[in-house]
Amino acid sequence: MHRSALLPLALILAMASGAAAQEPTYTLTIKDHQFQPSEIEIPAGQKIALIVKNNDSTPEEFESTELRREKVVAGGEQITVYIGPLKPGKYEFFGDFNPKTARGHIVAK
Amino acid sequence: MLGAAIIVFREVLEAALIVGIVLAASAGAPRRGFWVSIGLAGGVVGAVLVALFAAEIAAAAAGIGQELLNAVILLLAVSMLGWHNVWMSRHGRELAATAREVGDAVISGARPLYVLAVVVGLAVLREGSETVLFLYGIAAGGGLGAGSLIAGGTVGLAGGVAVGAALYFGLLRIPTRRLFTVTSWMVLLLAAGMASQAAGYLVQADLLPPLGDAVWDTSAVLTEDSILGKALHTLIGYVSRPEGIQILLYLATLGAIWLLTRLVGRPVRPKTVASLSRGAATPLLVIFLFGALGAGSVGFADELKVRYPIVDYREFEIEHNGVTTFDSPKSGKSNNQFYTVEWGFGPFPNYFVELEHELEAPPGENITYDATSVENYFQLTPTGKYWGDLAFFAEYSQPAHRADAKAFTFGPLAQTQFGEIAGFGLLHTLNLLFTREVGNNSTNATPLFTAWQSRLLINQYIQPGFEYYGMIDDLGAPGKLADQQHRIGPVLVGLQNFAPYGKLKYELGYQFGLTPATERGAIRWRLEYEIPF
Repeated sequence: MHRSALLPLALILAMASGAAAQEPTYTLTIKDHQFQPSEIEIPAGQKIALIVKNNDSTPEEFESTELRREKVVAGGEQITVYIGPLKPGKYEFFGDFNPKTARGHIVAK
Repeated sequence: MLGAAIIVFREVLEAALIVGIVLAASAGAPRRGFWVSIGLAGGVVGAVLVALFAAEIAAAAAGIGQELLNAVILLLAVSMLGWHNVWMSRHGRELAATAREVGDAVISGARPLYVLAVVVGLAVLREGSETVLFLYGIAAGGGLGAGSLIAGGTVGLAGGVAVGAALYFGLLRIPTRRLFTVTSWMVLLLAAGMASQAAGYLVQADLLPPLGDAVWDTSAVLTEDSILGKALHTLIGYVSRPEGIQILLYLATLGAIWLLTRLVGRPVRPKTVASLSRGAATPLLVIFLFGALGAGSVGFADELKVRYPIVDYREFEIEHNGVTTFDSPKSGKSNNQFYTVEWGFGPFPNYFVELEHELEAPPGENITYDATSVENYFQLTPTGKYWGDLAFFAEYSQPAHRADAKAFTFGPLAQTQFGEIAGFGLLHTLNLLFTREVGNNSTNATPLFTAWQSRLLINQYIQPGFEYYGMIDDLGAPGKLADQQHRIGPVLVGLQNFAPYGKLKYELGYQFGLTPATERGAIRWRLEYEIPF
């Protein structure tokens, strides 16, 4: 096998193994089927950990089509979702079980 | 009520589409109703259980239990769908032919319908658990009366089932002859989409790198929020802003299933002995493959060694392996010798390459140079980051004799430390290596070489353990156990460090043959000198 053919693959693998760094954490709270805050600003081009706390007694699903994320948060529990690295822009998210009231967005700058 | 109906519809839709395809793919098979019912019932029970334990699942595995469960379910479904396609490519034609004439009772007896039951069950489980949680949330929150809740849920359920039924009956209008081709394609795309979804979950859990957040963006044309987008998301894995790894897994799944249907899905026809009857062909083929003309990297007294998934970055190494077999003199299996000399180095943290020369002496013959191989190790996970370490191994073998076939060998290498005895840790390593021959006198067979080692980490000098080696000459026709090679036995592994000049590693093992086709005994050894650079 030619080395030139292997290099792109080696690069991909090198990227894969570099994903272990500690990422900044942001917190989102659900209360009365609403997200607080409804806007979160994060740095673009960096992976972040988003903690979603559900202060309601009923379950909710944190979902974002634009971020391709969905995760159920049981009542009174919390979850962590990893997001990014994102390009600069606005990314909508919503609560899949209460899509009318539970809405918000992430702004990557 | 309408809001509840819409949400239930969206959840049910996904499962209904999958069940529709599965039903169409198994059209005409007897007892299909039974298996699908089992799948549905199991799925509903599973959905309720998953919903009940949602909090516990989410908290499991340091907070990524939900993603792991989803990814495992999806990948399990992918493997089931893949296996279904492999089976169909092998038997689909006879099935379509006999379905119209005498009924397919005989063939269908062996048909893996449980595979479809599992897929149905997993689809219902995944989508159903969210539906249950949603309905519970509404009921507990008191936002809706029981009447409108039930009404909304029923309308949503009926709507989803109606779309699934429409897909099913639409597919049934396709003539039987073509139906299996169409459903096989749909199953293939379904599986690829599920694999990319699984990749999404693993990225969300930070177990896989995204390799690019949104490689392209077609959300202006169609988003997954729309009903059509959601349906296409399920059917062909449509994602408007895919992550790089999702594209990679999508293509890899398409490729892997396609390759497997080509390799395993076809009846084996050895090109050189095709005219002989099957009974005579098998032993002749064995002689042809492993005898004096032997294709270097296949089978008989092949290299018995376990490959490790950890790449020795910035190390140069010289390695020697040897195997000598023992059996009764008349068996023709005694004193079979196989040696290698290898040079390797690790230019990248996750890539190691080796050049290997293979020498062989069949019973009663002199040692001859047999083949040269290039071995590539791609370490896929950072060492020690996850519960296990994983690498992909790919080898190309160029035979010394022009009459011999060239061969590609590839497969996963996995290692994990788990359990302990008397306070010492246990290290387990597993290799699953598939071989394909190409060129002169190649066969359609797909041999599978399995190697497993578990050893006790007492200290660096002495680590006792045991090893297992299995060789199935053709995965497509594995034959009787007695015709396969299986062996097991003790091994001693250790190293001596001569830092900064390098270190010497050794392995010494004895293998007992477990089947008539295996030599009664075999000694194997390995010496390796590693120099850092």
